[in-house]
Amino acid sequence: MPDLSIQNLFLRLGDNEILKGVSLTIPVGSVVALLGPSGSGKTTLLRAVAGLEVPYRGAIKIGERVLFDSERGIELPAEQRGLGLVFQSYALWPHRTVQDNVAYGLKLRGVGADEIKTRVAAALAQIGLGHLAARYPHQLSGGQQQRVALARALVYEPPVILLDEPLSNLDAKLREEARAWLRQLITSLGLSALCVTHDQVEAMALADRIILLNGGVVEQEGTPTELYTAPRSLFAAEFMGSNSQLNGKLASRGGGQAEIEVEGQRLRGVDRGGAAPGAAATGVIRLEAVQVGGADGGNGLTMTLATQMYLGERWEAVFTRGTTTVRAYAHAPLAEGEHNIGFPPEALWIF
Amino acid sequence: MRFGWYRFLVIAVAAVAVLAPLVLVFYQSFLDAPFFQPVTHFSLEAYSFILGESDFWDAFVTTLLIGAGMTAIAVPLGAILAFLIVRTDLPGRGWLEPVILVPIFVSAIVLAFGYVVALGPVGIFSIMVKSWIGFVPWNIYSLVSIAVVAGLMHVPHVYLYTAAALRGLGTDLEEAARVIGANPWRVAIHVSLPMVMPAILFAAVLVFFLGFELFGIPLVLGDPQGILVLSTYLYKLTNLLGVPSYQLMAVVVVAIVVVTLPLIYLQRRLLRQSQRYVSMRGKGQRAAPLRLGRWRWPAFVFIALWFLVTVVLPLAGITLRSFVVTWGEGVKLADVLTLDHYRALLNFPNIERGILNTLAIGTIGGAFAVVGYTLVALAIHRWNSGWVRFVDYIVMLPRAMPGIVAGLALLWVFLFFKPISPLRSTLVSLWLAYTIVWFAYGMRLISGTLLQVAPELEEAARTVGASEARVMRDVSVPLIRYGMIASWLLIFLIFVREYSTGIYLLGPGTEVIGSLLVSLWGTGDVDLVSALSVINVAMIGIGLAIAVRLGVRLHA
Repeated sequence: MPDLSIQNLFLRLGDNEILKGVSLTIPVGSVVALLGPSGSGKTTLLRAVAGLEVPYRGAIKIGERVLFDSERGIELPAEQRGLGLVFQSYALWPHRTVQDNVAYGLKLRGVGADEIKTRVAAALAQIGLGHLAARYPHQLSGGQQQRVALARALVYEPPVILLDEPLSNLDAKLREEARAWLRQLITSLGLSALCVTHDQVEAMALADRIILLNGGVVEQEGTPTELYTAPRSLFAAEFMGSNSQLNGKLASRGGGQAEIEVEGQRLRGVDRGGAAPGAAATGVIRLEAVQVGGADGGNGLTMTLATQMYLGERWEAVFTRGTTTVRAYAHAPLAEGEHNIGFPPEALWIF
Repeated sequence: MRFGWYRFLVIAVAAVAVLAPLVLVFYQSFLDAPFFQPVTHFSLEAYSFILGESDFWDAFVTTLLIGAGMTAIAVPLGAILAFLIVRTDLPGRGWLEPVILVPIFVSAIVLAFGYVVALGPVGIFSIMVKSWIGFVPWNIYSLVSIAVVAGLMHVPHVYLYTAAALRGLGTDLEEAARVIGANPWRVAIHVSLPMVMPAILFAAVLVFFLGFELFGIPLVLGDPQGILVLSTYLYKLTNLLGVPSYQLMAVVVVAIVVVTLPLIYLQRRLLRQSQRYVSMRGKGQRAAPLRLGRWRWPAFVFIALWFLVTVVLPLAGITLRSFVVTWGEGVKLADVLTLDHYRALLNFPNIERGILNTLAIGTIGGAFAVVGYTLVALAIHRWNSGWVRFVDYIVMLPRAMPGIVAGLALLWVFLFFKPISPLRSTLVSLWLAYTIVWFAYGMRLISGTLLQVAPELEEAARTVGASEARVMRDVSVPLIRYGMIASWLLIFLIFVREYSTGIYLLGPGTEVIGSLLVSLWGTGDVDLVSALSVINVAMIGIGLAIAVRLGVRLHA
């Protein structure tokens, strides 16, 4: 099976430009997450791939097969694209049993009755719901409905399966289980998948690659590790993980390093480009990188403990100095008063 | 691609069906003779004749007066009723709603007969009252009583829109006012009423507009005193001149349409306005009903009284009349009881046919109409195109034609287009007229249920590999089948009730109860009229009972 590729896609809904030139590739057998805040265009992009929204420029291809190409005037209707789509609401047909919901795609492809039976049974067995084939959707729990929706999209073996917020309708506990199950199923079947989510933890857990969308353009693309440990923009840095922000002035830069002046103190960090010395700059650091009690090399600030919260497996503390607020994790409750807060230079990104 | 053709085919058929009668009427209005005559010329003669007639202008003014009068009666009553039922602890608020909607489904002409038989100068109840106090304190044949009867009958229309708006209001808005310190009545006046005002305003325009559609009531109650409205003026014009004066009738139709079209446009604007305050539905908790206290039962009696005067009195009158030989002062009921009138019905083959035809047009015709409305609704369903607006307007247009006018226009269409002329004397012509007249109503029923199908259900079928036509067949239509059955029941009720549309199409083979009643009334045969009326009401009663039993919502 060939790759799904999207080239320079533009789409507008009413007067709103939703997609402003999105390009990406989904290699065969990989799970790609489309991540972004609400309004970033991720669901619209997914629907455009499925053929449910019409872009006004760009192209969508699976290998050499053109699904959409504005220049050549090609626009395959949704039913001829042969993709699988799992809806956020699952969209199981309420007037059909589980069996009939799953079988419909095969029936439309003219598969014989006997073969439909075996293939549906196999698909339902795969998702562990073989015994519920005769039920109607409303007789299933949310998690079961989600699995049926997945089986319905998988049963006719589409080259790419599209998932729209597949886990968002499940409650928190079930979501973590379903996440692991889904990842396992997709990888064991060797599927290519494009999965929309607004939850960065979900994206990192599910996907081989993450595409971070912001305002209709791709902000950054890479493996989960790349996105988490080497964000290329302030937006990417802020969107992934839990962070603290240090606002100040850029003091110097050079050799991949930069210095930022915060609350009268100079802090060293990794230069992430942008501002010239003297201009406003922002330092971003992951919460887990902040060192309470000071860092090696003394890259830090003396700050006052404002409050602390017990989170179960650890404590989260909030420190202030002037207008700057920094959050950090601690393993034990901290004493009132001032603390040395260290920012390891390799973990502090200066934008 | 094939679905695209289907869309345009359906739209084209609907457009022709709606526009052909209207265009033909306009064309006829500019001729100096009926269009079927060998020699006709374009002329404005007909306009100058009609516009120079004082009778026409009298009818015009009377129509406006009656419209204004019935609006003034129906709007406050309907709004109060809606408030009582939706927001208070009125006794019986659970089962009252279908009862309140009954007048919508009872034929206006049957009610009008009922008023004459019950409350006319020698009416059954008039005589009763006369024996108590010595005189009859009302006169049923007057402009005022026409407006009052029409006003009472249209209370449900106002009720429907006001109640829907009241239910759509977020209860949090009212609760906020309560918490700030307003008592329930202040909340009703300062919060609820202003917010349902757009809906009430819409209902007011609707009722005024329906004033132009009145035919049965002014015909029965106004004609004896020479009180004419536009629709009865049109009807009289047929007999007035002896020769078919189509060009003059066409001018009257144009005059009616010129007034009703802007009213329809205004309604459209107002309807959009009236939905402005409707907030999210289905929050689960309903506000605790307002306690009426000692006003509980007086309020109930108030509603019962309205129902008594609007439905019970006339229907009881006509039913009683259908079982007696004669009625007058000093007649004892036991002496005059008879079933002869019902037996007599069977002596007239056209009446027998009329009853069967009515059943056929209600059941079979109703089913075909629902299929037709569904075909049109599916053609524009989830279609992102300017054509949807075009269809919206096409659907709206027939509303500008009162039933009698649409029937007349359809008759002309069948006379004008020779290939279809043979259909004129079959039920097909009547079915087409009914279907066109109720186009907007039927479309509202069907598209209402179609809109409840979540779009993802259809999109899911598309991505699985179904074409647009296949999605309609396998997903959309199966999901709305209960809605279609409910619509069929409502269309049955409407078609059985209909009387004015069939008047000009009445002929051997196209008799239905409604148009037979109008023509029998003209001959003055009250015996037959009352028996036939009771049969009509019974048919509607059975249909209504089935609908209520099945839990069909009686309004679209």
